[in-house]
Amino acid sequence: MNIEASLVFVIDDNPAMRASVESLLRSVGHRVAAFHSTEDFLAAEHHNGPACLVLDVRLPGVSGLEFQRELKRIGRGCPIIFITGHGDVQMSVAAMKAGAIEFLTKPFRDQDLLDAVHKGLAMDIELRKRVKEMEALRLRFETLTPREREILPLVASGLMNKQIAATLQLSEITVKVHRAQVMQKLQAASLADLVRLSDKIAEAVAGAAG
Amino acid sequence: MTPSSDQSVGEPALLLSSFAHRQNQFWLAGSILAVSVLMPVLIAPHAGRSLTDWVVVLPAYAAAVLVIELVTSTFLFALFYVQRSRAILILAAGYLFSGALVAPWVVTFPGIFSSLGIEESIQSAAAFAALKRLGFPLFILAYAVLPDVQLARRLVASWIVVAVVSVLAVIAIACWLVLGDWSSLRLSNAFMRDALTPGLLWRLIPALAIALYLAGIVALAARRRTILDLWLVVVLGTLLIEIIQISYLGAGVRMSLGWWAGRLYGLVSASIVLVVMLAETIAVYARLARATIAERRARQNRLTAMEALSATIAHEVNQPLGSMVTNANAGLRWLANPQPELDEAKAAMHRIVEEGHRANKVVSGIRTMFMKGTRERTPLDLNLLIEQVVKQSAVAARLGHGAVTLDLDCQAPFVIGNAIQLQQVVANLIDNAIEAMRAVPARQRRLRIATTGREHGEVVVSIEDEGPGLDPATLDRIFEPFFTTKPDGMGMGLMFCRSAIEAHGGRLWTSTNEPKGAVFSFSLPTSPQPDPAPEENE
Repeated sequence: MNIEASLVFVIDDNPAMRASVESLLRSVGHRVAAFHSTEDFLAAEHHNGPACLVLDVRLPGVSGLEFQRELKRIGRGCPIIFITGHGDVQMSVAAMKAGAIEFLTKPFRDQDLLDAVHKGLAMDIELRKRVKEMEALRLRFETLTPREREILPLVASGLMNKQIAATLQLSEITVKVHRAQVMQKLQAASLADLVRLSDKIAEAVAGAAG
Repeated sequence: MTPSSDQSVGEPALLLSSFAHRQNQFWLAGSILAVSVLMPVLIAPHAGRSLTDWVVVLPAYAAAVLVIELVTSTFLFALFYVQRSRAILILAAGYLFSGALVAPWVVTFPGIFSSLGIEESIQSAAAFAALKRLGFPLFILAYAVLPDVQLARRLVASWIVVAVVSVLAVIAIACWLVLGDWSSLRLSNAFMRDALTPGLLWRLIPALAIALYLAGIVALAARRRTILDLWLVVVLGTLLIEIIQISYLGAGVRMSLGWWAGRLYGLVSASIVLVVMLAETIAVYARLARATIAERRARQNRLTAMEALSATIAHEVNQPLGSMVTNANAGLRWLANPQPELDEAKAAMHRIVEEGHRANKVVSGIRTMFMKGTRERTPLDLNLLIEQVVKQSAVAARLGHGAVTLDLDCQAPFVIGNAIQLQQVVANLIDNAIEAMRAVPARQRRLRIATTGREHGEVVVSIEDEGPGLDPATLDRIFEPFFTTKPDGMGMGLMFCRSAIEAHGGRLWTSTNEPKGAVFSFSLPTSPQPDPAPEENE
């Protein structure tokens, strides 16, 4: 894991708590940015690298759970570790359901927090990698002509060139040319590779639509 | 009698004989007596009419009186068993005496049980009637006049046995005297000249009875403290009317209309105490049930309070504790690094020390909030106190970019109060105000604290915020314990503030801030004015 590029955000309105968490994380080599409030956090410069967030549930203004939703909405979502003065089961269940990776009750064991942060950063790095891949794939997909996009699912579903030609009322030669173009543009090494990429694209398109 | 040392001073007014009567009962008793007087007046013209055929009703009447009086007596003995009041014992014995005498009276009454072969005598029935009439008011007189004492607990059962046995013995002796073969009474005409007409001695008995009844009424009226006393007056009143009807309106002739009307009064009179006792027992039972429910609820509340208190402590202490543990861990890790970072470790240590002090403050704050020992009152300068609180609780820092304004009236006089408690109140109200403005953008947070010395001997402190203001729907509940609008609040702060201010003889109230926000104000009486309330209102 590239710890150099990653950043841990800490939001806690209690200065002593904030300083202690910050110090603890720094002592094991994390880069830390600590904020007094969610507003300060949002106002700060956007960090474009792996990150995770250590968040006090009881925050000035909005509750931690609300803030978690808001971050997701504005596309700044990252793994969140909640800390709380007195965690009730209900609250922790809600937080975990909303995608928190850990819910720690003060006073917590330092190793628990460090493990959670480690896990959070790893998750974010993985996430970012996948997003990057999808993005690259999307860009490749966009280079396809409308006709090629039409042919792709048919090829992926295992139809012969002849069948595709019949379906789209094209000559078999034309289908062959388009098919070669698709393979090349999507950088697919084999038919199996193309099927896999096609699935991913379908997923990405569905994800974008949903 | 061996009165025990513990008088019935501390006895809770839970038993019939110790209840003070209420005004409405007084009127009820009065109107029953008034109606009772009315009937003899109405039937007076026909009082002499003879109704000899009705003699068959007499055993039923006697049985009713017997049962009612014996049940009343049992009831009173039971009451005595619980309350150990000598007066109640005397009264119970009186009812037993009166009820038990009904038996020989009706058995020897001429013309009733002759078919059973029981020897009857016109004199004996009259003798028993005379004994009942004179004996019962004597018991009531004793009840009213003798000073009431509480008897020793371990002797209560023995006292009941003694009372029952002596009453029955007296009646047995009376029977023996009246009915014995040697008795000359049967042959004389002392009580009755014939089966219906009373004799010379019977002329004396009613007068004597009336005198005793009146004496009893006077004695009870003088004592008239409890429900029982009140209704015993009614009992004697109806007995009085009975004897007047039997002996004078009916011309003393047995089986006349007046005589029968008198009997009716006897029945009513015998029932009064029983009916009243049953009614009051129901009332007492209801009251007891209510008290039990209230007590149970109070206990539940106390439990909830304890729960809430422990949750408050846990939450308030966990905050600095959590920070201390994390700081200590951070410090250890800084020291454990290949190149120990001493400055970082030192900084962590410093934070631990600070947090330790903060935890201590939290605990002592909770103590001052909930524990006693806040009685010491001294003259205080509220302005100084407010300035200290504002400084101590780092109001400016917590407001961020917001502004805090102190608008203190330097003319405001001193107040008498407990500095720790009042500091806690001010700090609580400031905390609430800051809390209320959390959602407000930092630059628009404005907190204003003002004091004014009013002319009529009080200082008013108001704490104004520009938060969203108070929700009208919950406005009247904010001072209730455990009511809170904060997601993790305990609902203790405002309740504490109000009780503390009221303990100082002041008031705490809320109003709306213009253009937005809430104002919490409290007033405290000023010190030069000798106000007795604050010292005793604890």
